[in-house]
Amino acid sequence: MLSRHAEDLYWAGRYIERAEDTARLLDVTYHGLLESPPGEAPAAWRELLDVLFLQDAFGDPEAINAATVTRFLVLDPDNPGSIVAAVARARENVRGVRDRVSTELWEAVNSFYLEMVDRDLPAELADRPYEVYRLVKHECQAIAGVANESMPRDDGYRFLVLGRMIERAEMTCRMLAIRYARLRREAGPAYHQWVAVLKSVSAYEAYLKEHRAAMDPTRVLEFLLLSPDFPRSVLFSLATAEAHLTDLVGPGTGAAATRLLGMARARLEFCEVDDVLASGLDEFLEGVQSEIWRVDDAIDRHFFRSGADLDLHAYEAT
Amino acid sequence: MSTDLFAEYRSVGYCEAFEERTPRPHYAALVRRLEAMSADDLAQRAHLTAAIFRSLGITFAVYGDQEGAERTWPMDLIPRIVPPQEWDVLERGLAQRVRALSMFLDDLYVGEQASVNDGVLPRWLVESSDGYLRQARGIGAPHGARVVVGGIDLVRDDRGVYRVLEDNLRVPSGISYVLENRVAMTRVLPVAFARHEVLPVNHYGASLLDALRSIAPPAAGEPVTVVVLTPGVHNSAYFEHAFLARQMGVELVEGRDLVVEDHVLYMRTTRGLQRVDVVYRRVGDEFLDPVVFRSGSLLGVPGIVAAARAGTVTLANALGNGVADDKAVYPYVPDLIRYYLGEEELLPNVTTYLPWQPDQLAHVLDRLDELVVKPVAEAGGAGIVVGSQASAEELDRVAAALRAHPRGFVAQETVQLSTHPTFVEGRLAARHIDLRPFVISGERTEVVPGGLTRVALREGSLIVNSSQGGGSKDTWVLAGGG
Amino acid sequence: MRLEIRYVTDFSYRKPVRESHNELRACPAELRHQELLSYRLAIDPPSRVHTFTDFWGTRVDAFGVRGRHDHLRIVADSTVTTTTPDEPRDDPGRASLDDEHRAEHAQYLAPSAHTQWGDAIAGAALDLAAPAGGVVDLAQRVMAGVHDHLDYAPGATYVGVDVTEVFVAAKGVCQDYAHLSLAMYRSLGVPARYVSGYFYAADQSRGDAPEAAEIEVQTHAWVEVALPGFGWLALDPTNRLTVGERHVKIGHGRDYDDVLPLRGVFHGPADHDLGVSVRMTREQMASQSQQ
Repeated sequence: MLSRHAEDLYWAGRYIERAEDTARLLDVTYHGLLESPPGEAPAAWRELLDVLFLQDAFGDPEAINAATVTRFLVLDPDNPGSIVAAVARARENVRGVRDRVSTELWEAVNSFYLEMVDRDLPAELADRPYEVYRLVKHECQAIAGVANESMPRDDGYRFLVLGRMIERAEMTCRMLAIRYARLRREAGPAYHQWVAVLKSVSAYEAYLKEHRAAMDPTRVLEFLLLSPDFPRSVLFSLATAEAHLTDLVGPGTGAAATRLLGMARARLEFCEVDDVLASGLDEFLEGVQSEIWRVDDAIDRHFFRSGADLDLHAYEAT
Repeated sequence: MSTDLFAEYRSVGYCEAFEERTPRPHYAALVRRLEAMSADDLAQRAHLTAAIFRSLGITFAVYGDQEGAERTWPMDLIPRIVPPQEWDVLERGLAQRVRALSMFLDDLYVGEQASVNDGVLPRWLVESSDGYLRQARGIGAPHGARVVVGGIDLVRDDRGVYRVLEDNLRVPSGISYVLENRVAMTRVLPVAFARHEVLPVNHYGASLLDALRSIAPPAAGEPVTVVVLTPGVHNSAYFEHAFLARQMGVELVEGRDLVVEDHVLYMRTTRGLQRVDVVYRRVGDEFLDPVVFRSGSLLGVPGIVAAARAGTVTLANALGNGVADDKAVYPYVPDLIRYYLGEEELLPNVTTYLPWQPDQLAHVLDRLDELVVKPVAEAGGAGIVVGSQASAEELDRVAAALRAHPRGFVAQETVQLSTHPTFVEGRLAARHIDLRPFVISGERTEVVPGGLTRVALREGSLIVNSSQGGGSKDTWVLAGGG
Repeated sequence: MRLEIRYVTDFSYRKPVRESHNELRACPAELRHQELLSYRLAIDPPSRVHTFTDFWGTRVDAFGVRGRHDHLRIVADSTVTTTTPDEPRDDPGRASLDDEHRAEHAQYLAPSAHTQWGDAIAGAALDLAAPAGGVVDLAQRVMAGVHDHLDYAPGATYVGVDVTEVFVAAKGVCQDYAHLSLAMYRSLGVPARYVSGYFYAADQSRGDAPEAAEIEVQTHAWVEVALPGFGWLALDPTNRLTVGERHVKIGHGRDYDDVLPLRGVFHGPADHDLGVSVRMTREQMASQSQQ
């Protein structure tokens, strides 16, 4: 398929996932703070911006509070990391490939966008933010469902899923980085915090099934990072991405993207959570994230970039 | 004429459907069917038509509107019917015209320029045409098919004579509406449609693809790779570009999807570069290649013109067709038909005056309030001044422009376009119409039965362009012998 | 005169670029008084060249480099022999610039991108032409007028400068001399065209024959005027010379745009150095000693 179409689909996948995961991050931060001392709040919101690499984009650190960060991450059209911006970009991307996706998928993305435009989001965010997050999660999952049900398993579908999985792996790493930073500061058991973390990625029930009610931070980390079965774990996301990428690259070609993704996946697959914690979780998560960036760059070079993105200059010489 | 629908219907000028108060024979069945319907019924169907177009997202862009607003395509419920004997003449006349114009173009760009050398039309006229692309000299077209898709605008005068109003040989648009109108018509008036033996139009995509494949360069692979090149999603005809790509089952590409290496054109795909043999391009000449054309915008595909010249890829339509649809060249088309084909023209022109000829300029200035003045190189009705409807100031401006730049304009006799029953404001009324048939030429020439009938929805208006309040009609060409 | 000409363009890009596409017009024309003995083109990185003759009769070499590259070197070597062009025996009267003549050369009468004249230029042209007897006289008076009006000043103008600006600033290089001349000729109803070429002279603006056999020059530009009953009369306004055997013509057009030596596009960061050089070497011809 055309590189441009593939790129549009890949980024549609990434933006839809970004919108969903940003909503999840906001949700868990918001709820985590409900039962914390009031002094905690600014630090928590700063951490959120930090982990999303949006501190500079946000600007004045003095202005950081629940309302400003929430608005920035949900509503600010100039913030490329905000939910409305992600949804708008996803819609632009899908529109660019309208002929290559099912009508249902286009309609799902378009109606989500229109709903975000039509609603009074500032009022809702002030009043009942969880409703907004629920809506975003719901719509994003609906889009994923529609894609799953209405698109043939061709390259277009694969790029869409590849984008989502790469984004999800990265965002889950970020979410874990935030939670563990906070929990390290707060001594003592924090049962409700772990429940909130698990719920934020829809993992609570799955976790209970595997570990009963034992709310062990190490097990929670292991579950979200290394579970081979849970669809939002970093390992599962990378393994799914790898399967699609392998199909896309085709057999027998030693593409850098496949090699890098295989390495990232293998590192997770063959590591023990205790070793991770012993050698430092932050470094580990940063390492995984930078591997994902390299994979993204390799995908970009392999499929999308062939010079078309460079500026064109005309010259004359006498 | 007993029902409400036609009760107040008054023919104006040459009516397509009635002679005096009697339906013409080829309209009899349709009129009978309509008479069996009420105005409410028609209104409901009109509503349904609009709903169909809206849900299909069939829109057109309105220039001048803010943010390039898109409107739903307006199709009038009452179809235009062309009987077989009329269509026979039109079909032959259109094919003849496009054939002659293609030969003229081929002669200009790769031939000896025989018609110019022999004085059929003045050399300076050709050389002063904005559409004459010197950069295209030497670039051949397989089978001489330079006008792969031509849109020829026809009108019918007050005596019912079909005349050619203008030729569109660069990137004519509108065919997607012909096909969509037919789809909608079979849904909203299925019974009326079924009672006529209407020649189909839905093979257009296949015919166009055949034509495009037939002009592939000799080095093309099998199967031939055809693409549709669009300026992008913001172009007013983007809908049509996507539609045609879908109909043909080929890739819809933008300039940035294409790249030239060693004078061969490729598209950038996820599995590497894929060779392209034929480009049905809906991008204007000047925006095709920044190496060759200094548009300043750096749009297009660098090297594509060199590739076309090297003969590794065919561009359709060919480069430089604008010289043949220059309105100041149009009056010479009957002469070109005689010169290149040795035939008399089957479809006459509208009487046209060339202001660069001093005596004709005087005549035009004298009758400015009766004539229609058109800039020579515009398309889509832009810049046209209808003398009888223009203000005194406007006429002064036009007169000044004609004197300052006589080569830049033509003046035509105002044609009182034929009229057709049209459903407006809950009743049937006579409105002026024209017709744009489409002619496909590859190895062979084929005229799509019918074409786009455009209708001026305002009473008395002669301006049928959709961007200026015009609507459209499905056009039924009846099968012969019926 | 036998001349070897080496035209060299060197691009060096600060950062690698890709997908460059170029059109070169550097090959001397084949004319009655100018014979092309050889022409060879070398491009680095190596590139497949498609050669064609354009509308104006000029040889064009089209080529591109798709992969990443940090330099582009184009070397065009040609060898020509030249003689002095025929000169008109008599000077046709200005009445010979009739409708037929104008219609035949309409494209050389209309204003073009670089020759859009206004009242100032047209007025100056009228003044220069007023005392002229015939067309040759007129052409030479305009040439002299342009030569006197402009100061030769490399770097004072840029390609694409408006011809009226050139006229007002009263300085320029050979392209400006040519464009101003064209604007004046055309405003007077004299068909005239732009010529691109090489000029074997010690100084491009004085026109003295060089002492050394081998010299470094730049590409040059002059004009040709359509003389009724004769053909094209070539004049070099920069040097106030009738074109002779030291002028080597590449091609002609309505103005610079139609025949500029090298144009193209590339993808990547804009930063680049561009060096153009022309070396001309006079050779002793075996045949000369026999004459």
